[in-house]
Amino acid sequence: MDTLNELLNGFAAALTWQNLIFAFLGCLLGTVIGVLPGIGPVAGVALLIPLTLNMDPTGSIIMLCAIFYGTAYGGTITSVLLNTPGEAASAITTIDGHAMTLMGKAGAALTIAAIGSFVGGTIATLGLVAAAKPLGELGLLVGPPEFFALMVVGISLLVALAGKSMVKALISGALGLLISMVGIDPVAGAPRFTFGMDRLLDGVSFVAVIVGVFGLSEILSYRKGESTVVHAPGFRSLLPTGKEWRRSAPSMARGTGIGFGLGLIPGMTGSVASLLSYGAEKKFSKHRNELGKGAVEGVAGPETANNAHANAALIPLFTLGIPASPTIAVLMGAFLQQGLTPGPTLFTEHSEIAWAIIASLFIGNLLLVLLNVPLVGLWTSILRVPAPILTALILLFMVIGAYTINFSVFDVFVMIGFGLLGLALRHLEIPLAPMVLTLVLGPLMERSLRESLEISQGDFSIFLNRPISLVLIILGVLIICSPLLKLRKPKALMDDPEA
Amino acid sequence: MTTESTMTQSPARARPARSVLAGVAAFGALGAYVLVSSVGLGLWTSLGPGPGLFPFAMGAVLASMSVLWLLQELRRPSAAGEKADGGLVLAVVVSLVLLAALLDLLGFQLSMFLFLMYHLKIRGKRGWLSALLTALAGSVGAFYAFNYGLNVALPVSSIPVLNLIGL
Repeated sequence: MDTLNELLNGFAAALTWQNLIFAFLGCLLGTVIGVLPGIGPVAGVALLIPLTLNMDPTGSIIMLCAIFYGTAYGGTITSVLLNTPGEAASAITTIDGHAMTLMGKAGAALTIAAIGSFVGGTIATLGLVAAAKPLGELGLLVGPPEFFALMVVGISLLVALAGKSMVKALISGALGLLISMVGIDPVAGAPRFTFGMDRLLDGVSFVAVIVGVFGLSEILSYRKGESTVVHAPGFRSLLPTGKEWRRSAPSMARGTGIGFGLGLIPGMTGSVASLLSYGAEKKFSKHRNELGKGAVEGVAGPETANNAHANAALIPLFTLGIPASPTIAVLMGAFLQQGLTPGPTLFTEHSEIAWAIIASLFIGNLLLVLLNVPLVGLWTSILRVPAPILTALILLFMVIGAYTINFSVFDVFVMIGFGLLGLALRHLEIPLAPMVLTLVLGPLMERSLRESLEISQGDFSIFLNRPISLVLIILGVLIICSPLLKLRKPKALMDDPEA
Repeated sequence: MTTESTMTQSPARARPARSVLAGVAAFGALGAYVLVSSVGLGLWTSLGPGPGLFPFAMGAVLASMSVLWLLQELRRPSAAGEKADGGLVLAVVVSLVLLAALLDLLGFQLSMFLFLMYHLKIRGKRGWLSALLTALAGSVGAFYAFNYGLNVALPVSSIPVLNLIGL
């Protein structure tokens, strides 16, 4: 009953006109980011964090969450109409979604995708409501050694699953941790890796690094492409037939289960969820023979799964303070910049904010359906904006975003530097995801390690003497050693530019 | 393409790409630098772990992974990654550096206007009207939208004459 009351209070806060506008703006910007091939959800969310710094914490996080799941919707539009995924999680939708477009069923594909995303996102948010209290209370029992071990598991998963080479993933992870250590040491107060520069005493700005590594490097790696002709479906063709609805329903149910389950596991990205959902359709659908030829199940399943994943991935963040994917890590950075620490204490110290954000997830999912289905023509028209104008405007927002973090030109230079680093990492095929995760988790990880060792007076066996941390450490080691056991990796992860 | 096919493609006598070797060397050097610096920071204090302990561990990971990467490359060189368009990289980076350098001197509006005109008119070969309108919206429009709409102060020129006319 307590949970229901708190959720209702959350709705009261989320339904104020200011917060509704923030949710609406977030959905709008998220859809645009998703539609634009080039700027992924990680850079998109990071790019807009500085604009929300002056807002109140509730409005700011509501808007950033809406941007986050809005990108999942937006990516579908280009997948279906252009055979070009706006973001990695929608890549698998291109197969049947675009085939449906060629058959003159683009409208039905987009509507099914939007409804599936709504269903997946809403059910996953209900899961968050149900899990928030019990997991949050469980999280309060977690001490520094367990917290450290939990982060080891999260990072191990991402390192093990990211890219083709674990060696490169470990380099990326170590690099992120090192960048996070620049500045004043949190315990002893000693400056580390500042090279005598006062500006680095506060550390390297997280947002500038992310915008540079993910956003600028993406622009720097652009190649000349052919111009595309987009034909948006008419409003009348948007409604699927009764048969298509009946065929989609079981796929949506399967997609919800797969997306929700994978969203809880750190390291699993939305693209894994949509890929596995497609696999499930190939195995369990009554019309599996039609998959790949424009079957509606090939759109309904993956699209439901990636939105269920996006919303379920917020559960470990809200309850344990562990970001499950790179975009969630960026979102966690936004929480920290607003003075909110995600994790069990979020529900004790900022209960009203936490519940308002959860309530806004329901509202945002509904707003996205209302925005996406009727306005599909508007979204596709964005793709008709000439590339030089789009690139120039994206660069403009990057500069404003980097500058406004500290109102300092220094951060613009930091962004440029990390843009070049990102370009080099892409060229060397070093995955970027472990870096962004360790960049956020680095300070928390170091603090929990040092607190643990202070409690044990320097005895490292503290991690092995406590049952929860022992189990988690063993799990982390097993995950890191999994390539030696020749465990198979899902192929989509290897192809995911974000992983 | 399957994982198997990527693994069977590299020729037996191929050499590691120069850019890959440079990357290995850079990460190895960074790891070594962090290892040495961390010792100077102090690995252990009377109170417990010192400020250098965690960086030391990361430096060790970076250095050892660089060695492993080198060994992997010597055994089975990976295909060189796609090359970026050098002209585009140079144009974007140099224009961004110039923009950042001029931001406090000329102010946001003027420096951003020049930056956008360069990208739209010279690099993007847009028509004068389209380039001018977009550059004005992105510089003057964005300045007013951020300053007065979002309460986010963008820099104004430090040159008195420009400052006086609102730039």
